[in-house]
Amino acid sequence: MRKQREEEYLSGNLTAMIDVVFQLIIFFVATVNMQDKAYDDRITLAMAPNGKVDDKKDPRQVAVDIDSKGTIMICKTPLSSGLLTTILKKARADSRGYDVPVLIRADTLTKHEAVKKVMDACTAAGIWKIKFTALKERSG
Amino acid sequence: MARKRRRSHTIAGELNLTAMIDVAFQLLAFFIITTKPVDVVTNLDVFRPSPEKQSQDQSPAKIIRVTVFPDGFTINDRGVDSRQLTSLLGRLAELDTTQTVLIQCLNASPHGKLIELLDICSKLKLTNLSVVSSGGA
Repeated sequence: MRKQREEEYLSGNLTAMIDVVFQLIIFFVATVNMQDKAYDDRITLAMAPNGKVDDKKDPRQVAVDIDSKGTIMICKTPLSSGLLTTILKKARADSRGYDVPVLIRADTLTKHEAVKKVMDACTAAGIWKIKFTALKERSG
Repeated sequence: MARKRRRSHTIAGELNLTAMIDVAFQLLAFFIITTKPVDVVTNLDVFRPSPEKQSQDQSPAKIIRVTVFPDGFTINDRGVDSRQLTSLLGRLAELDTTQTVLIQCLNASPHGKLIELLDICSKLKLTNLSVVSSGGA
């Protein structure tokens, strides 16, 4: 009887713990890159090999996508320039007057006309600082 | 009965890892196949000319005016290609990197051309970039 108890003590059942660990791994792997999913994959960014990489991400940042046809989108949702102005004004009001970083991710073939619409919306919302996203290095 | 107990005693303390290692390798293979390398992106900062600043204009000599056309660039109204633009801007940047570069972009120009110019400015460490749009083609 004593021997049996000893055995039970030595061979703890790890199955449940391993299950939970795998569940956690899958959860974190699935949720970690949610921000990148918001960007449109069809946009081909222009190359800028001399640009500097900034690692810090501002949570207030608004990323505006523009595809090659000139459609303005935020998180793959097409917007009119009037609606974009409203969104940017709201973002600026929420940040209590601090600068809201606006990131323009435009396709390399996009006509400047569409980019101008976004820049004008920024100006109307009182945002003077704009960032253009470009590719520093293409992978593979 | 006694024999049975002895056999179970040898197993005690060991864990059958085969299934776990199988699953771990499956996961590893899955992630290796599905993960695609991430592109390195860069953000190029520009300013919009603020209406308040227009009154206190800089002297014209301090401003470099670059216009982006669909098929090329002009720097201070002189038509250049991207190589000439790099060398001309380089010479101007040697004097002063804080001077304003007023970038005028035509509506019909592709965005890639503007990025090309911003990349050149970034390379030459010109940071005071102002982008305006102009309608004419």
